[in-house]
Parts: sequence; C-alpha cells; structure tokens
Amino acid sequence: MNRQNLLLTILFGLFAVAGGLAWWLWPSPTAAVSGTVTTSLSEEDLSRYSFATEPDALVFPRDFGPHNDFLTEWWYYTGNLTAEDGREFGYQFTIFRRALTPDSQSDDGSAWRTNQIYLAHFTVSDIANERFFKFEKLSRGGADLAGASAVPYHVWLEDWYVRENEDGSISMFAQGDGVTLDLNLVQEQPPVIHGDGGLSPKGPNPGNASYYYSQVNQTTTGAIILEGETIQVEGRSWKDHEFSTKALNDEAIGWDWFSMQFDNPEQNSMVLWEVRQDDGSIALQSAGSWINADSSTYPIQYDDFDIEVLDTWTSPHTGAEYPTRWRITVPDLDLELIAEAMMEDQELQTTPVYWEGAVEYKGTLNGQPITGKGYVEMTGYDQPMQVRF
Amino acid sequence: MTANSQSPTTHNTPLWRTSLRRAVRRPFQYILFIVGVAIGVAMMVSIDLANSSATRAFEISTDAITGRATHRIVGGPTGLDQALYVKLRRELGYSLSAPVVEGFVKVPELGDLPLRLVGIDPFAEPPFRSYLVPADSGNDGTFADFLSVPNTIYVLDSLAADYGLTINDAVTLDLAGVAKEAQIIGLITPTDEGNRQALENIIFADISTAQDVLELNGRLSHIDLIVGDEAALAEIEALLPMGARIETTAASSNSVQQMTAAFRLNLTALSLLALVVGMFLIYNTVTFSVVQRRPMFGILRCLGVTGGQLFRLILGEAVVLSAIGSIIGVGLGIVLGRGLVGLITQTMNDFYFVVNVRGVTLDPWSLGKGVLFGVLAALIASFFPALEALRTTPSASLHRSTIESKVGRLLPYLIGGWAALSLIGAGLLWIRGGLVIAFGGLFAILFAFALITPPLTVWLMRVTVPLGQRVLGAVGRMAPRDIVRSLSRTSVAIAALMTAVAVIVGVSIMIGSFRTTVVTWLNQTLRADIYISPPTLTANRVEGELQPEVVDELLGWPGVREASTARTVTVRAPEFGRDIRLVAVSGDIADGERPYAWLPEGQTDVDVWSAMQSGEGIIISEPLLIKEELSLPPEPITLMTPDGPQSFPVLAVFYDYASDQGVVWIDKQLYINFWDDSAVSTIAIFMEEGVDVDETAAAMRTSFQGQQELIVNSNKSLRENSIEIFDRTFAITAALRLLATIVAFIGVLSALMSLQLEKTRELGVLRATGMTVRQLWQLTLVETGLMGLVAGILAIPTGFALAWVLIYVINVRSFGWTLQMHLEASYFYQAIGVALTAALLAGIYPAWRLGQMVIATAVRQD
Amino acid sequence: MILNQNNSLVFFHQLSKSFREGDQLRAVLRNTTVGFEEGAFTAILGPSGSGKSTLLNLASGIEQPDEGDIWIDGTAINQLSDHDRTLFRRDHIGFIFQFFNLIPTLTVLENITLPQELAGRRVREVIPQAMSLLEKVGLADRKDTFPDKLSGGEQQRVAIARALAHNPKIVLADEPTGNLDVKTGERVMALLLNLTRDTGRTLIMATHSPGVVPLADRVLRVHGGQLIETSNRSNQTELEPV
Repeated sequence: MNRQNLLLTILFGLFAVAGGLAWWLWPSPTAAVSGTVTTSLSEEDLSRYSFATEPDALVFPRDFGPHNDFLTEWWYYTGNLTAEDGREFGYQFTIFRRALTPDSQSDDGSAWRTNQIYLAHFTVSDIANERFFKFEKLSRGGADLAGASAVPYHVWLEDWYVRENEDGSISMFAQGDGVTLDLNLVQEQPPVIHGDGGLSPKGPNPGNASYYYSQVNQTTTGAIILEGETIQVEGRSWKDHEFSTKALNDEAIGWDWFSMQFDNPEQNSMVLWEVRQDDGSIALQSAGSWINADSSTYPIQYDDFDIEVLDTWTSPHTGAEYPTRWRITVPDLDLELIAEAMMEDQELQTTPVYWEGAVEYKGTLNGQPITGKGYVEMTGYDQPMQVRF
Repeated sequence: MTANSQSPTTHNTPLWRTSLRRAVRRPFQYILFIVGVAIGVAMMVSIDLANSSATRAFEISTDAITGRATHRIVGGPTGLDQALYVKLRRELGYSLSAPVVEGFVKVPELGDLPLRLVGIDPFAEPPFRSYLVPADSGNDGTFADFLSVPNTIYVLDSLAADYGLTINDAVTLDLAGVAKEAQIIGLITPTDEGNRQALENIIFADISTAQDVLELNGRLSHIDLIVGDEAALAEIEALLPMGARIETTAASSNSVQQMTAAFRLNLTALSLLALVVGMFLIYNTVTFSVVQRRPMFGILRCLGVTGGQLFRLILGEAVVLSAIGSIIGVGLGIVLGRGLVGLITQTMNDFYFVVNVRGVTLDPWSLGKGVLFGVLAALIASFFPALEALRTTPSASLHRSTIESKVGRLLPYLIGGWAALSLIGAGLLWIRGGLVIAFGGLFAILFAFALITPPLTVWLMRVTVPLGQRVLGAVGRMAPRDIVRSLSRTSVAIAALMTAVAVIVGVSIMIGSFRTTVVTWLNQTLRADIYISPPTLTANRVEGELQPEVVDELLGWPGVREASTARTVTVRAPEFGRDIRLVAVSGDIADGERPYAWLPEGQTDVDVWSAMQSGEGIIISEPLLIKEELSLPPEPITLMTPDGPQSFPVLAVFYDYASDQGVVWIDKQLYINFWDDSAVSTIAIFMEEGVDVDETAAAMRTSFQGQQELIVNSNKSLRENSIEIFDRTFAITAALRLLATIVAFIGVLSALMSLQLEKTRELGVLRATGMTVRQLWQLTLVETGLMGLVAGILAIPTGFALAWVLIYVINVRSFGWTLQMHLEASYFYQAIGVALTAALLAGIYPAWRLGQMVIATAVRQD
Repeated sequence: MILNQNNSLVFFHQLSKSFREGDQLRAVLRNTTVGFEEGAFTAILGPSGSGKSTLLNLASGIEQPDEGDIWIDGTAINQLSDHDRTLFRRDHIGFIFQFFNLIPTLTVLENITLPQELAGRRVREVIPQAMSLLEKVGLADRKDTFPDKLSGGEQQRVAIARALAHNPKIVLADEPTGNLDVKTGERVMALLLNLTRDTGRTLIMATHSPGVVPLADRVLRVHGGQLIETSNRSNQTELEPV
C-alpha cells in the first residue's frame, strides 16, 4: 500500500471541485445550475479505462510520460534543502492528472477540447521561521495549458513545470504569491520499481493495482525566492510517479507515509506506510521498502516494522490532531529511528485536508548512528477519508 | 396701531379653496392643463424608456460578459492567436486572465433570435464571472460533458422553458447559414432578476465548443484581465504581439455607447419637441385661467390678498396640476415606451449592434425625470401668467381690453425677440459645435417663429377684415377682429398649432429628402445583377463568411461575366481611438457609377478606383470624413494590422448611407497582404447579356442547400430590401411625428374651444340682438378656421427652416450624411390641411353649445 | 407727525390725485386736506365720475395719491410698500362694493370668513362670529348657499357681513345700494348703519343717493377737486380750504 488512496481522494476532491465547482472555483455562485445527473463512475464506465494488470510492464523513457487511458496519475516531488548559511527548507511539488472520460478526443476541432484535467500542489516549508507556504492550481489538459510528455520528460501546469534538460538533468519551477521555487535535479539512480516489476497491488482482485515507480536521492540545487530574497539551496529530492484506474480499501480512514533519505555512506533510502482503519487497527497492506544506492530494494512487510507516536500537534486551522514525533523500529534491519517533524504546521487546507511536511530522522543502524531527512504525509486526521473508487 | 403690529403672515388656504371649487365646477380648463402635461411627459418618458431599455439591455449583457474584468486584450479582425493566452499563463503565470471566444448564432429552436454564444474556460473563470459557469453541487458527468463532449451548451432555464426545451434536447446553432447540432446539457437558474436579464440572450459553452461552432479554431475573441497595477500591465504589454492591444473594459463599452449617442440624442430632441408643444398648451391654459379670474383676483386684492399670494396660487396650481399630469404622462409613457422599444431596438440592430430587448426596463430615473420635466415645463409656462396675476391691481373694474392693449404694445418687442432669437439660432447653427448646440439652434429658431406669430397674425387679420366683410358681411368682419382683440390667447393657440404643424412639415421634408437621396444613391451604386451573402444578424452588416467552396463555385457559375467579392471586418484606427469598418473589395459593384463627395483635383472616379484596386491607397466614406473632422484632402489614415500600425493614403471620399460610423474600402489583395485573411463576406455578380437573372438567382439559392444557407438577392430585391430597412429606420420618427400631431391637435382643440366658450356672454348678447344660430356657427367656424389657416400658412416657412436645419446641420453632425433637400407640394398643403381641420373641428363643439344655450343664461353668466 | 389736532382716524393731508383720460389729465383731488373722525358716519356725495370711488380707493390704499399723505390711525399708508399696504387693508378696513363682489366659488359663510382666514385665523375660531353676523343680516339659514343663488339684496347683506367680519375700525362703502331697488336699498342701508353704529365703527360711504344725507353724521360733496361740507348735524371738523 502507498499513497494511492490519498491521491485518489485528492483527485476525487479535484473532480468534485471541478465538476461541482461549488466551493473552490466558484466561491460565491450567484447562479445555480442543474445538469444531467449521473452518479459517480459506475463499474461499467470504469471498465473502459485501462487497468494495471501486468508485471514488468514499465518501459522507460516511455512511462515517464502520461497515461491518459488510466483514470488517475501523478508526479509527486518532495525534497529537503539547505541554504549556504545552514537554513533548512522543505518543498513539495505535485502535478495530478485525472481523466474525465475514457474516450480519447479526436484531433480535429478545437485544441481546447480535452478529457484530461490537471491539478498541482506546491508548498515550501521555511523551517527556521516556521513558515509554511502552499499553493494550488487547476487547469484543463488542453490548448498546451497543462500536460505531460515522456520524451523529453516534461510535466507542466501553466507556469509550473518539471522538465528534462538536454543534459538529462531536471528543471523544476513553481511560483506562488511571494514564493518561487527554481531547482535543478539530477537523477543519479535508476528508477526504483515498486511491487511486482512496477505492478503494485492494492486489493485482492486483479486490476486493483497501480503502476508505480520512484526516483530517489536526486541531487538538488537551485534557489528559493522568498518574498524577494533569493536563497541558494541544495539537498535531495524524491519523486513518485504512479498511475492507475482502480484501488480499493473501504475500511481505511487515513494513512501515514514516511520517506527517508539517509546520510550514511551507502546512500540508503527507505519508504514506509501505515494504513489506519476505522476499527483502530493497522491494515495488512501497510508495508515499505529499504532502498539501496543502485535502486535495488529490500521489502518490508506488515510484521516487519513498528511506528510509535511520541508527540502530537493540534492544527489551529482545522482542529485536527497530528503526530509530530515517532519511534520507528525495523528489527530485521537492526534499525531504530526517532522521526521528528522539522516544524509543526505543514498542513494543507485543501480538499481533502492533509499534512505533508519535512521530517528529520536520527537513530542507529546496526548499532552505528545514522541520520536522514525526508517527508511524512498524514491523511484522515481532519475527517475520515472517503474512498470512493 | 401700525400695520406691522398684526401678523404679517399671509395664508393661501382659502385661496386654494376657490381653486378647488373652480376645478369641481369647471373642470374643463384643468383637464386640458393635465392633458397637455400628460402628453408631453408621455412622449418624453416613452422615448427615454425605450432608449434606456435598449441601451441597458446591451449594457447588461455586456456587463455579464465583462464580469469583473478591468482590461481586455483585443486583436484585429480575426481576434487573437490563442498562443498569446498560453504564453500569458505559461511564461508570465498571470492567472487573473481568462480567454473568451464569442459570436452570434441564431437558434431556430429558441425563437430564431441572435443569441450570443460565449465560450469560456471554466478553470480561468472564477475571478471573473461567478454566474457564467455551471455551478452543480454534486459529482456528476455534466462538467465532464461540458469540457469533453463537442457542442454541449448551457442556456437560461426560463429561455429554454419559453420554447419548451429542457436538458438533453438538441438545438441548431446557425452561424451565417451553416447549421450545427448542439445539445443542451445544463440550465442556468439565476438567483436574481438582474442576472436573469443579463443571461437571457447568452448561450454558454466550453471554449472548445465555441471555437468549433464559430469556426474560430486557434483564435480567441479577447482575453479578459484583472490588472491592479501599472507594473503588471507593462509586463503583459511586453508580451503582446503586433496588432494586439490592451484596453480598459470601460472604454470598450463606452465606444458602443458613443456609437448610438447621436441616434439617441435625435430621438430625445424629437421627444422634447412634443414637450415644447405641450408647454404652449399649458401657457395657453394658464393664461386663460388667469384672465378669466381677473375680476375675482381684483376683489381679492381689495380684500387684502397680496399680489405675491396670487402669484403663488397660480404657480401652486401649476405644480399640482402638472404633477397629476406628469404622473398620468409617466403611465402613458410606459405604455407608449413598450411600443417604441421594438422600433428603437430594430434600428439599433440594423445600424449598430445586436441587442435583444424583451421589455421595458422601468428606470426610476427616467420616470422621475419625466415628472420633473413636466412640472418644470408647467412652471415655466405658468410664470408669465402668474406674473400677470401678481400685477393684478386691487380693483374690480379692470377689463380685458387693458391687457389686450398691453399685448398690442408688446408686438414690437415680439418682433425684436424674433430677430434676436433668429440670430442666436443661426449663430448656434453656424458655429461648429456639437449636436446639443445644433439642437439649441433648432429650438431657438422654432421659438423665434413662435414669437413672430402674434405680429404676423395681427397683420394678416387686418388684411382679412375687408375681405371678410365683402364675402360674409358682418360676420366676416367680426371674426378677424375678434382674433386680434383676444390676441393674448389667440396668438398663443396659433403659435402652438403652428409649431406642431411646422414640426410635422419639417420632419416630413427631412424624411422625404433622405429617402429620395438614398434611393438615388442605391440606383447609382447597386449595379450588379446578383448579390450573395450569408444570413446576417443585422441589416446593414455582414459579419459571417461564405464558405470557400461556395465562393469558388459561385465565381465559376455559368453565365457570370464578372464578380466582385467583399470582405467586411472591423479594424482598429488608433488615430480615431476606435474601431472602424474595413471592406476589402475585388471590384466595384457600382460599375464605375459611384458618386464621390471628394476627388483629388484633376482625377476622375475611374482614376481613383483603379488606383485603389492597384493597392495605392484606400477610399473612405463621407461619414468618416465628417465624424473624424478630417481635412480635405485627407491625411493618410493609420490602421492596425497584425504587423503593427500601417498608414494608408486616402484616394477619395465616396457617398455612403449605409453606416453613420464611417467605412474604409481597400483593395482585396492589399488587405490579404496585410491581414492574411482571404475570407469572403459577400459576392456581387454581373451576368452576361441574355442570361435570366432571376432564374440564376433561384438556382444559386437551391444549389447550396445543406452546405450553407445563402441570401441571394437580385438587384431589384436588394434595392427593395434596402428601402425597407430605410423605412423601418424611420418608423420611429414617423411614429413621433404622429404623436406630435396628436399633441398639436388636442392642444389646439382645447385652446380654441376655451376661447370660444369664454365668449359665451358676448355671444349671448349678440344672439339677443338678433344673430341667428346659423350666423353663430358661421362666426365660430370662420374664427377658428382663420386661426388654423394662419397657423398653417406660418407653419410652411417654419417647417421649411426646420427641415433645412435637420438636413444640413443635424443630420450632418449626427451621422455625417449629406442629403439633397427634396420638396414636395404635398408637404405644404398637408400642413394647411392639418391645421385647418384641427381648427375647424375645434369650433364645432362651442358652436353647437352656443347655439343650444338659452340666451338669458348666457347673458347673465359672470 | 403732522396729525391734525382734532383726532381724526383717517386724515388726508394735502392730497392730490388725477387721472389720464385720453390725452388729458383730469384732477379728482387738488391739494385736499380732510379728516374723518373715529366712530362717525361720513357720506360723500357727488355725481357719477366725480371721484367718490377714487376717494375711497385712496382711503383703503387701493390707489396711491399723486401728492400728499393718507394717515390712518397714525400710519401714513401711502408710504407703505404695496405688500404692507395690502396687509394693512386686510387687517383694518372693511370694503362694501356696489356690485357686491362676492367670490362666486365660495359659499356665503366662506365668503364672510375669507378675510380672517387670509389673515391666518383658523376657520373654527372665526365661524361663531361669522354666524352671528349672518344672523344679524338675517341670512343664517343660507350659509351654505353659493352667491349666484342669492338675490341682489341678499348678496349685499352678505357683503356687509364680510366687511365687518374681521372687526375693522373703518368700513368703506361704495354705493352699497346703487344696484338695489329702493325698498331693498333702504333695508340694506338700515342694516349697515345699525351694524356700524352699534360697534362704534368709522363708516365712509360714497353715494349719489340724497336719502342717505339725514342719516349721516357728516356730509361731504366732491366738487372741483375739493371736498365741501354741505351739512352736518353734529357740526364737527372745520375744513381748512387751501
């Protein structure tokens, strides 16, 4: 299990917003409109999309690009950066894609016609000043306003983009009111293929799965411009790219997801996730991976790890209570870590509300001290996530 | 005891009681007063309401489209490349921007009215137009359909309901004769009436649908912006390609307002004429009421009523009566306005822009203004009679002959006033001022003629006395003498009738001259045999395009000797600060017969046409020359092309009566070179000798069915259509003329009637001394007939002067059209006929009543 | 103050008045000085056109003298503005005309209350007195009738009531019986005298009817621009011919 549910929910939110245009696009509608009422996508509608069914199906560079025949897709970047003077920053930059219909559009006619919508979230955490900047953008996937391509690798929503340069490095740019992120990423490691050759099962039935890979430990340099001040930064970034049509977990009310990029000489990384269920238990799909510098992985199963909450923070915006300090143990790896949010308020008041923030790790691996940084994502603390698909 | 020891206050209450009693016992005068005010106010209010309803309907729909945009980026005739918007979003990240693709389509299923198809991008909309966009509350497929299914539209719920349509129903969107199927996928329910009105004529679609339906792929009509500061504006401006520019939304809606300003001012002035005639009527009525009460006022003065009290009484009566009249007038005006708004809308559609008006908007300001003007006019008209009342000396024995001799002494001053006002009027017309000044001149001249009426009446009556004596004996002598003796009232009635008839004559001459000029012009310029255009939404502009295949086939049609194509677009003229119409032509439909208002010295019309067709420059229409106050020979004119401003020499100025905004003609190839647009709006075809034109036209009409619906006109039918449009344009003027006639008629009827009824006692004495009923009828009818005749005779020169001003000053300044004055004898004897009929009719009732009365009662009447 | 020693309520001081008649100027009064004592009834006799009416008009401020002053109760009314003069008339003078001159659109009662209402009194306050006057002139039952339904004598009785309604010190009457038959005239005259003498009012009456002479306290005749005392029972003011 991974962030599938969160992201689906975000995309559902996007769809609800775009389709309903109720609170976000049209905050004060002066006209109400009645339209043809169709229920949420039926099994039949869904069946006309593609499904993730085959292992070892991912082919690069083709699959860096979009897959419009799948219902949902995202390119998800998080990273921890440090300025020359030691100031620390975190960032998140995600572009979501969502198909409105399974029918592809004919090429003649208006370039604006499309069945694809794009949504992007972009945040910067200024750790020293405990400031959290968050922005959101929405567009159609037509008329070149938003889109994605594999060669060259390019995902964009208006002026926000990640783009492969001629030298193979990645340029990332996003800006909001008073904040600009302008970074260069080098993908030194090959993609980390999750699950069974990229096929990541989400449920008991065939097709209840996604195609999923990550690109971790990307050396990141560039600048953050904060209210006119240009800050040169460097650090490491983590990218997830996942696409699917259907994933199921009706009992889930939320999840906690941890990414870690360690400072040890072996350049290890790790990802762990826990799915919280409505009966208070942790779902069996909760799992993770220990990742080596060559992108080979060591799978971590439900029984293999334990996460204990040590401290919490209550959001003044939504009243949700989030963990902010954890003890993480993976006995097989002889790994024991204390994870601590680098600042408390990294909550996005979007639909749905979630916490996505920079986190610091300290502990021991095989008895040797180890440190690292990464990101934690926590959902369902505001209200239970309603998974619709 | 001194005079001041008691209360120096004065109380008018008991005086009011006398007025009230008088109103109850003799309501006739008061009713006339009220009618006079009511009709004048009704005219004004109806025009005002119709005008404001039409403009407001336009404003509302414009505002609905503009939303909260502060600026917009606009381009040339074909709009903007959508790449500019993408650049704005992707390079500048300017999110307070929204693309709009719009155009007019006809929807047969929705009443076949022109509706504005507005294509928007819902993702860009939130800062701009909250109500334009479907606002479903649930998760359903409507939004997905809106974006991804071609030709899906939203319409207003009430519009759909009016035509029995609902969700999922199919409709046809007809763009210039090319029909496209569309589906209603949603209905808009506005939360308030203002929005309902705004959305009534709008169809919403996704921008993709709008581009497809309007055949504007890759193009945007404009980009809306919300710009807060100059820096952002500069940033955006730096991004603009040649030919695109930023204008404020206020400026663009202003330019539309200015387009119709002259038209609306003309209508307002016409409605004011009615009020002026109404004022004469009021003046007459009030004077009468003062004269009649003079003995009573004399007693009252003896009893200690001050002159000021009487002055206030008269003005107070005027206020009360005019308020009642105004309120009735406003009600009448609303009814009339409902009729007029259709006429005004038609003209606006024919000449300026597409606007649908479904009803009259009851603008409180218009209504309030009506009441205010009514009361004000009545106060002004009552001022002099009230002054007379003020000057009443405290005596019971003052007789009218005193006043009449006073009027006699006034005559030289009236002549002086006539001369002075004429000079002022001529001066106002002579200076090159605006339209308002010109109308000031017009009204001054009209008043001047009204002032000269009493002296001329006296003179004419003196001439008539011996003639009357010879023809009718004593009665023939008495009638003109009576008129002179009661000059204080007869002259006003005559002046009022004269003014009204003069207005009728003046407007008739103007319309007649206009029509003759246009007919001549049409005959000269329309020389081709067949004219083909796509169906249009407005009468005098072709906005659509002919499909290229259609054009090719038409040009190659058997029997075609020669064909000339025209492309009509709107381009920016930076020097004039507005858009002007540009017509790119490949040949001359006038076949060398086109009349020119200006040609360079030594050049013929053939020279300039061939120079234009070889791309040496442009030719412009007369209204452009006049409207922009260009010098002769005109300087080159700058037009905005996609590659930036380009200057074009002006080769000639031609007469044109199709547009009051001015037109520029350019060679087709030159246009294509600069604007890269080879579309064709219309084709004019000259057939070979011996080919049956009507048969060919019919064949062309049927040949393209299913491909593009075409309007195919033969030379004859096009001329007829043009004349029909002309007549339609002047329908409102004709309606106003009719109303002015009614005002005049009622006014004169009432004035003459009161005059005659006032003489009851005198006529009673005459009857007692042996006048027969027959002689009484004679006397009355001769008297009113004489007055009508005088008014009719004086109306002829006045009407002619009015027509002269309308044709050579007002029309030129309003619309830039030079008209040839065209006179017909019928205008003049109609004038005399109307005046005489009104006057004679006015005599019938008094004559009948006086004939019926018991002599003793008449003699005893106070 | 040039007031004459003998306490005249109305005093003409060296008064001249003439009219233009065509091209000629005709003098009605020439430097006339005369006083009218408070409470007295003065009859002014003279043929038609001799200037009787002018004299009354001057006394009420309706007309202005060419020269001289008109003093009434210490006020030179000819020096007042037209407005003030009108108010003075309204408050102090009652006028009775030969042709009755009732307001045709007002009822009998309203005609009587009119002068007081004009002075700002409330109708309710003035009705009792008006009614008592109407009773005195014997027309109480006709109070709601309009004047055109009354006979001449009745109309003149209403006019008398109207002239007295606001308690004027001075009543001016211009041929009050001139338009009535002899019998009616006598009755109206008796009524007028009763009502003025009872309340001690000053009455100046222009008349050409010699029948009035025995009733008057003093009789003046207009002649050649002067007022000539013809007979006086009480033998009062001496004129000072100039």
